Amino acid sequence: MSATVSTFEMPRTISSQRRTKDRLFSIALWASVVIALVPLLLIVYRVVRLGVAAISVNLFAHTALPASLPGGGLKQAFLGTAMIVGLAIAFSVPLGVLTGIFLAEYGSGRIAAVVRFTAEILLSIPSIVAGAFIWALVVVALGNFSALAAGIALTVLMWPIMARATEEVLRLVPTELREGGLALGYPRWRVIMRIVLPTAGAGVFTAIMLAVARGLGETAPVLLTALGNDFVSTNPLKPTDAVPLRVYNYAQSAYPAWRALAWGGALMLLVGVLVLSVTARMLSIRQQRRMR
Amino acid sequence: MATIGVPPHADAPAAPLTRRRRFGDPAFRWTTLVVSVGLVVMLALLLWVLADGGWRAIREFGLHFVIGRDWNPVAGRETYGALPFIFGTAVTSLIAMVLAMPIGVGVALFLNESGAGWIKNPLAVLVDLLAAIPSVVYGLWGLFVLVPLFDHTVEPWLSASVGKVPVLGGLFRYQGPGGDMFTAGVILAIMILPIVTAVTREVVSVVSTETREAAMALGATRYETIRLGVLPTARPGIVGAGMLGLGRALGETIAVALVIGNSTNISASLFKSGYTIPAVIANEFREATSAGVHRSALLFLALLLVLIALGMASVSRLLVRRTARLMGDDVAAQEEAASSTLGLA
Amino acid sequence: MKIHRFARPAVIAAAALTLVAAACSNTSSTSTSSGSTSGGFQGTALNGAGSTFAQPLYQLWSQSFLQKEPDAQINYQPIGSGGGIEQFTAETVDFGATDVPLQSDEIGNLPPNQNYIEFPTALGAVVFAYNVQGVDTPLKLDGTTISDIFLGNITKWNDAEITSQNPGVNLPDESIQVVHRSDESGTTAVWTGWLSAESPEWASKVGADKAVQWPVGTGASGNDGVASGISQTDGGAGYLSYDFAVTADLGVADIKAPDGDYVAPSIDSISKAGGGLTFPIKSDTTIINSSTKGAYPVASTTYVLIYTDQTDQSIAQTLVDFWTWSLTDGQSQTEQINYAPLPSDFAKDALKEVAKINVNGTPVTPTSPTG
Repeated sequence: MSATVSTFEMPRTISSQRRTKDRLFSIALWASVVIALVPLLLIVYRVVRLGVAAISVNLFAHTALPASLPGGGLKQAFLGTAMIVGLAIAFSVPLGVLTGIFLAEYGSGRIAAVVRFTAEILLSIPSIVAGAFIWALVVVALGNFSALAAGIALTVLMWPIMARATEEVLRLVPTELREGGLALGYPRWRVIMRIVLPTAGAGVFTAIMLAVARGLGETAPVLLTALGNDFVSTNPLKPTDAVPLRVYNYAQSAYPAWRALAWGGALMLLVGVLVLSVTARMLSIRQQRRMR
Repeated sequence: MATIGVPPHADAPAAPLTRRRRFGDPAFRWTTLVVSVGLVVMLALLLWVLADGGWRAIREFGLHFVIGRDWNPVAGRETYGALPFIFGTAVTSLIAMVLAMPIGVGVALFLNESGAGWIKNPLAVLVDLLAAIPSVVYGLWGLFVLVPLFDHTVEPWLSASVGKVPVLGGLFRYQGPGGDMFTAGVILAIMILPIVTAVTREVVSVVSTETREAAMALGATRYETIRLGVLPTARPGIVGAGMLGLGRALGETIAVALVIGNSTNISASLFKSGYTIPAVIANEFREATSAGVHRSALLFLALLLVLIALGMASVSRLLVRRTARLMGDDVAAQEEAASSTLGLA
Repeated sequence: MKIHRFARPAVIAAAALTLVAAACSNTSSTSTSSGSTSGGFQGTALNGAGSTFAQPLYQLWSQSFLQKEPDAQINYQPIGSGGGIEQFTAETVDFGATDVPLQSDEIGNLPPNQNYIEFPTALGAVVFAYNVQGVDTPLKLDGTTISDIFLGNITKWNDAEITSQNPGVNLPDESIQVVHRSDESGTTAVWTGWLSAESPEWASKVGADKAVQWPVGTGASGNDGVASGISQTDGGAGYLSYDFAVTADLGVADIKAPDGDYVAPSIDSISKAGGGLTFPIKSDTTIINSSTKGAYPVASTTYVLIYTDQTDQSIAQTLVDFWTWSLTDGQSQTEQINYAPLPSDFAKDALKEVAKINVNGTPVTPTSPTG
């Protein structure tokens, strides 16, 4: 619902002073666009240039090695991130979707208002705080740093995203569909699960992608909960590595070989996050067209 | 019109309410309710866990914790005053706001008001990409590109030019190489730009066409339309956008930790190394011993941080909705404003 | 209750990712593993954390030990000596690593009724490293001068205190950019311990610990962060472990020993400092300012902490095997990455400590007898 002005013709009787102000304003807007884009281009360029140099079979096939031995890679970090994010998806998608359903379908009362408010402000929670919280809750209780703790920490961040996004998407489903289903005699829960949710399906999928894009790149919660690992770990109850964590550590190291791996990891993070974001955006555009 | 799969006829319900249906609805509703309340419980639990962990530090240091300048973990001399971190957090966030607000609002206005249609969608996509870049990638770039650039070029130049101005120049006194608060502020500005832009965009777009067309009819230039017609109504929302950006800047950890220099200084110069609350938590958490009060102090800092961040988010929400309410189009506008924050959470 | 249609694929995807991870781990996961074992104990995964000083050494040992026991994936995370002690106390790791022996408050904080062993594994040193244009020979500095630099009393490279000890060296009129640790670290503890011994002003103003309130300078994380910080800064100076300084190709100062000679850090001068080590390890055990002639004054060692009463047989066996190997065969690998081996008699005493590890009362003996 954006208000666009299709034509804007300046009356000929505008004083030159006003015209100048208007021109300066336009220039200022253009300038801010350029300034905004410069860092993006610089960052992408640098990450691509240095990251591509680090891309090799080694990066994916080898695990971490001490700097004194050549040929180390990030294999354990990629698999660790997969495990952590996998766990986070497994937790946050059901939780988030159910919360979204509650807010969209049963969402007119006091309780719903409180939940909605909570979800919205939780979108701004500093990720380090989520890490400290889950450290105190899970790591201390388990007696161990673990992939599970890291997954739960990411869930703290991803649950509100999933909840609000699901609510938005479900609200876009026309009421006629719900009414039609109810008119046919279907129970409410069936209408939601069999009609409303599937119709909004692509939108929910988009929400999952956006949540994952967020969780993928988070370092701070993983820093406090996963410890890191030089080896591939398959046990979710044991310490594991993660790409952002490894990039963070290698970035501060004094060894050129490790720094090169840091750029490689950064490039992979960038690619992953961009692919998810772009796909999500394309899907949501298609979904919006469907809804019209 | 969307097509939906019509349920199989075998399931076509008859009039009488079967037992399954009688329990199905309440059970389903109850499940979603419990899960949703669980979200609130999680927040409460988070606050409680941090308060419980940080209690020892507060009991030992009281108010001095917030105003003390010494952060000394040396056993036997332990004292924890958080002022350097509060200072660093405030300064870097302020720098970020000063830089990001004008540019963010400018980009938002450009996207909304400017005529050049071909550039809108690609530009919006690019701004979203800025939002998607992970913090550690910003930090890596900041550490190896921005810090050397600022140390060797920008800061000496600023110090030699603006630094000579009396009084204000003290802010720009070159302090030597290494990370510093100014560099951290710039990185933060880049990071919060997308959220400021997106929320401002939504807020500005809510202002109805009538206001614009009325201004046009009166012969206003585009600049005047925006300044006099759009911005006053949008102002609360734009402030709200700023607060959301500020909230993000306050909580940003990894990128800042890599470029701020990590020293507990309180100095007048922006080019001096500093420390922020999230950065000190990230650096010291795993090694803070429970023998002393160190761990507890860090947990209390985390509590302070989350209270401030959530507080800002609450106020921001109010302000964004205020603009919508001003336009009278409550529900739809709320949805617009809220959904814009999602892609950039 | 039926899960939402798209949640199911999401859960399946999550499960698939975990399965993929499991499948990948079954294939050879490192480039140096080989099948050279005789079919005996294969080892199990261990987790250790602590000192960044020991990181290059333990990670190298861990890779080499895979040749002996291919399943002994010893994951060592360098989170700093303070972190090593803390995680050891919290029992979240199988062994902790620290550059400074446990202090009385830390001992008091350990879980009650838990016996532990504490033994050094190698020798190293903390050096004063710098990056000054035009200075190619090692600077000669004494403890007072270095303390003054870290106190901020000396701010320029051509200060009289420095030039008087280095006649003929062209020191520029450049600011000294001090770099110190931002994380807790045993390296810091050793360094500030030495500064406290050398300078009463330092002892009273700052003191010695794993983390202190630095009067001047910027903070960097880990030995490598400091090395990186110094090497990227003109006029940079700081303290870091000897092996990192060599790898980072920084200038390293000769430091004045108690007998008045300026000693350069080297494997030889570091080894000389180790002669004073004996068991039992006490909180003030230290090898700085050794009286042996030619010994480097700021030498240090690094300790491993293990609880003696283990419950898991595989973990206990791997611990015993790994550390036995490290104290014997592993010692020959120290010099190639710029550490010094323990004095051989002392290493034998350390083995006796390792022998105290038991599972439910039964002592654990090393898998393969070593010479």
